Amino acid sequence: MEVGQMQRRLVDYTKTLFMEGFLDAQFLQLQQLQDESNPDFVVEVVSLFFDDSEKLLNDLSMALDQPNVDFKKVDAHVHQLKGSSSSIGAQRVKNACIAFRNFCEEQNIDATLRCLQQVKHEYYLVKNKLETLLRLEQQIVAAGGSIPTIEMGF
Amino acid sequence: MTLSRESHTSTSNSILPQSANLLTENGKFKKSMASALPSGDQGAAEANSGNGGQMQKKPFTFNEIVLRNRLTALVVDGDNFCRLLEQGILQAYGLETQSVNNGDAAVELIASGAKFDLILIDMLLPILDGVEATRRIRAMGMRCKMLGVTACSGERERQAFLAAGVDMFVEKPLGPEILIPVLRELDGQV
Repeated sequence: MEVGQMQRRLVDYTKTLFMEGFLDAQFLQLQQLQDESNPDFVVEVVSLFFDDSEKLLNDLSMALDQPNVDFKKVDAHVHQLKGSSSSIGAQRVKNACIAFRNFCEEQNIDATLRCLQQVKHEYYLVKNKLETLLRLEQQIVAAGGSIPTIEMGF
Repeated sequence: MTLSRESHTSTSNSILPQSANLLTENGKFKKSMASALPSGDQGAAEANSGNGGQMQKKPFTFNEIVLRNRLTALVVDGDNFCRLLEQGILQAYGLETQSVNNGDAAVELIASGAKFDLILIDMLLPILDGVEATRRIRAMGMRCKMLGVTACSGERERQAFLAAGVDMFVEKPLGPEILIPVLRELDGQV
């Protein structure tokens, strides 16, 4: 596949992610901080996000697995995940966190367990999408092309 | 990749583990702010080759600000990812940054005489929370620009943080539409 085709595929894929709500404008802004003097910014930041999130999800699972659930602790973890997911532009994860926090306030065990499943689901979805996106970018760079920038107003 | 969680003050730019590549050897973030040219030139040629110029040139976007002065910033955030990201963003804009992961370390850093042009501080922090840390930092006479950057979104939180002394309450994520005007102001650009 030649570079132009790869680039179009990347653009289409990225646009789909936006339209489906997986990513929002914050991600675009991060991409714009990447350039030739800093070519790995996005992949590094995304890796950090994965590490951070998976630790938070583990902490959340443990916290909700206790006989007496400490909802303040649960809420603190969800709050952190809300912050980091919004900072990378993982919109659906962020929204799932917002719903999660409402149920934490109610101290509703069943609902919060469902929320945890929902957040995990959204996280693994966006993780998969991001890994695919990064792989597409790497292929373009490996073929000698440059990563096209997505205009915000599409 | 494992992130080391500092338990105390981090006083240098090179806080990232060796495996992360965001910083060069001497701790500077790898972004050349000298390239104020519309940087579409390299990409456009390849992007527009092949079939029909569907790709956009890299636009001369909102994040094009070139600092004239040496500006320093402190990032205070208990979440590793957010802390490193905000630090990375500020470095990309050309600021020299430090970061700590709790409010107590921030207060100690200021108390030890460190000066910053800009402080980004989260609300929920380990050991000492952001509101109290802000109060103490202001009480020490620090008049620098402080942005409360937090995932908290309630009006009550906003009022509390502002009352403690942050100049702006920013709900995460911190985007260029907020950051760039602040940097322009700090840099003396009208």
